[in-house]
Amino acid sequence: MSEDVRVARLVDARPEVVFDAFTGQHGQEAFYREPGWSVQSECDLRVGGLWTVTFVGPARSERFRHDHAFRVIDRPRRLVVDTTESRPDGSVVEFQIEFIFEARGGKTLLTMIQRGLPTAELRDEHRAGVPDAFARLEQAIEESSLPRQGDPG
Amino acid sequence: VHYNAALDRTFFALSDPTRRGILERLGRGPATIGELAQPLGLTLNGVKKHVGILEEVDLVVTAKIGRARTCQLGPAQLEDATEWIDEYRRTWQRRLDRFGSYVERKEAGR
Repeated sequence: MSEDVRVARLVDARPEVVFDAFTGQHGQEAFYREPGWSVQSECDLRVGGLWTVTFVGPARSERFRHDHAFRVIDRPRRLVVDTTESRPDGSVVEFQIEFIFEARGGKTLLTMIQRGLPTAELRDEHRAGVPDAFARLEQAIEESSLPRQGDPG
Repeated sequence: VHYNAALDRTFFALSDPTRRGILERLGRGPATIGELAQPLGLTLNGVKKHVGILEEVDLVVTAKIGRARTCQLGPAQLEDATEWIDEYRRTWQRRLDRFGSYVERKEAGR
């Protein structure tokens, strides 16, 4: 399966600490919580177990859910999950995520690789609508402390 | 910071959840003022005000067809469609960064 997306972050903590935090509620909240979003994570950490993360945006309609089914659990080195993303418009996207926790002199290089993304469909969707870009702009608005406005009057 | 009035107006237009709802609806195809009003629970005049703000910054264009005014997404494209994967990657990179910062704060407090 081809590799579609790879991102990484060097974390100043040992792999055991990073791995355990990552599969915990607070770590997942930190992972998924954009400003103004709420996150709920329930993790059954065993092969075949389900890890369900629901994240809801400031507009009630912005409700996403990731159902991660564990394929590989190799604490503290590696996690592989089959992910089903349920989106606000009712559509579903399936892909695989591998998380790699590599020791780097007392720190951890955390790498995430996604495979099997339905890239053509996502590209078409991106062309049809721009909710992700709007979400990013919304974050930029909050970061720039511009006043938020309600009804125009 | 370079002052960009047009960008400020665009941010203002996007800062309202109702207007973002209108844009999300128009992302699925054109709609009349009446078709936008009903699911959002707004009056026709309320929708017209919101659409007017979006129209000022080219996020929406409208045209009168017969008796109804039809709205669709305007030319102010915020993202080249070919860049979608970069946006997607940035979303996940932000997630990793937030998580990494969380662990580091937690470790620093031990």
